Amino acid sequence: MKAYILLMVSAALVNNVILARFLGLCSFMGVTTRIDTAVGMGMATTFVITVSSMADWAVETYLLQPFGLGYLRTVTFILVIAAAVQFTEMIVKKVSPPLFQMLGIYLPLITTNCAVLGVALLLVEGRMSFISATLFAFASSAGYTLVMVIFAGLRERLALAEVPRMFAGPPIGFIVASLLALAFMGFSGMSAN
Amino acid sequence: MDAPADDTLDFSAPAMVEGIAHVVAVEGDLAWLEPEQTTSCGSCASSGACGAKGIGTTASRLEARRFSLENHAGLAVGERVVIGIRENALVKASLTAYAIPLGTLLGSGALAQWAAGSDGVTMAAMFGGLALGLGLARLNARRLNTRGDLAPRFLRRADEAAACHPVTFNKKVGA
Repeated sequence: MKAYILLMVSAALVNNVILARFLGLCSFMGVTTRIDTAVGMGMATTFVITVSSMADWAVETYLLQPFGLGYLRTVTFILVIAAAVQFTEMIVKKVSPPLFQMLGIYLPLITTNCAVLGVALLLVEGRMSFISATLFAFASSAGYTLVMVIFAGLRERLALAEVPRMFAGPPIGFIVASLLALAFMGFSGMSAN
Repeated sequence: MDAPADDTLDFSAPAMVEGIAHVVAVEGDLAWLEPEQTTSCGSCASSGACGAKGIGTTASRLEARRFSLENHAGLAVGERVVIGIRENALVKASLTAYAIPLGTLLGSGALAQWAAGSDGVTMAAMFGGLALGLGLARLNARRLNTRGDLAPRFLRRADEAAACHPVTFNKKVGA
């Protein structure tokens, strides 16, 4: 149990997908102008990363490794991710059309989110069991959502602040992101203990 | 929900997220609308080089997001209107669509791993948990929809200055 908790804390905070691994920066800057859109994108990404990582683990373990097809890993994983996004879109549409009308816009954007592929490739590097891989993927994407929501909250406040004109907009956003990354570096002390 | 359509003037009312939609058809008391297509990032100065620009701009995707409103305002085909949903509706929808299935998926996986300790059993349990979660999400979505929490509301007619993307009108109502 302790090993699983450490794995999840490490994935979500210490090695945060956005602030430590610098993955998913496009959506980090693009979809964080409002908290509610950041939550929508974060939740959708969490779902897709978790489901696609489960499928990627199965493909890697039962297909790519036994047949020595490791050189097809990236292409295969991209295919699996695209299929997972389509699957999610179909399911949400089927489960509730009103939900699809509200959330459908976020799903196609996830296909091109490098954090999804990045997490899947990290799983292979880690040589994890199925449950560890799933928890790692879930924690990584939860960390992604956490940072998106924090940053969206900061940007909503920044929109009301008096910022010097040359720093207004994305420049002050990047400065805040760098400070946030420094703050998250504080979690790296946890791994030493 | 018996709140009036102009509750945006009531400062104690929940804040609304606004969007622009086109009236594409009118059938009796119902007006069919399509949301005006924008990227979820709301576009930026680099939109010319943005990778999100081409995503979801096809007519089919717009048609899939078509929705209806009661036509109390006497809307006509071709009109542009400002619609709104409650600010917390998006969070509620996200939690329903994603958090419930994820919770049951991870919960059933953890239980199976604790009980059996085998990858195969855990995988099967997770798929079972996912199916259960989707069922629960469907029930909750139905409950929210019945309460009107997910329904967009007509706020006002949009002015011409808000124009950004041309849309060709299709009078045929889609599925």
